[in-house]
Amino acid sequence: MTAMDTATAGKIELRIPARSEFLSLVRLAAAAIGSQMGFDMDAIDDVKTGVGEACNNAIQHASATDRDIQVVFSLQADQLMVEVRDAGAGFDLSSYSEVDLDTVAAEDLPDSGYGLLLIQALMDEFDCLSQPGAGTVVRMVKRCSRPA
Amino acid sequence: MNFEINSRTVNNQTAVVAPVGEVDLHTAPEIKQHIAALSDQGCTQIVVDLSRIDYMDSTGLGVLVGALKRLREKDGELRLVQPTPRVMRVLEITRLVNVFQIFHSEEEALNSLPGGGA
Repeated sequence: MTAMDTATAGKIELRIPARSEFLSLVRLAAAAIGSQMGFDMDAIDDVKTGVGEACNNAIQHASATDRDIQVVFSLQADQLMVEVRDAGAGFDLSSYSEVDLDTVAAEDLPDSGYGLLLIQALMDEFDCLSQPGAGTVVRMVKRCSRPA
Repeated sequence: MNFEINSRTVNNQTAVVAPVGEVDLHTAPEIKQHIAALSDQGCTQIVVDLSRIDYMDSTGLGVLVGALKRLREKDGELRLVQPTPRVMRVLEITRLVNVFQIFHSEEEALNSLPGGGA
């Protein structure tokens, strides 16, 4: 039985206060789960970063509330799906404007906003559902690279 | 999480900042404050040694970008040294690898600064 076989079809849920000191705990869990699924080191780092970035956003959205952040890891046969949910203020996705990082001058670079770019690059699938006043759900998938 | 910042001043204008550990939403503000304090003291040429950073998220990248912009406003500079492969990867994904001057050693980075950092 491989590491991934033992890990399939499970669901692991974490609930953390919306505070940055708990981020390392979530990343540790993400790394352990990635290892359990048989991901290689690069893929484990990708999952850690993707989950960490989603939690960063959730903490920033929800920090003004007393509501926790929920992180749900769904371990499936061929992929890991992660959902990060907050009950914060939400935001209007259409108002998110991307900077063209290939052409922007250094003095015009933003000090923030690189997180979604990292999630999109490091995870195989990424969705974000958010509406003002209705919280945010970020859903990400990392597929197992080994042959089926 | 273990995180610390080692730093030393090379001269009145130049300092080396060497954070150790994981740079994220929780720890990045410490680097921001550290560089701001050095800048307030007149150190406008900062070398950031990234050789002992296990993990850096977008908050850390934002702090480095912000520091570069603020230092250049004072005719200063920010140089990066020896990013670990993981940090290099996030610099490449965000194309910030084209924005920062990155060196293999502290000595090279210091020599690249006006006055050679001496």
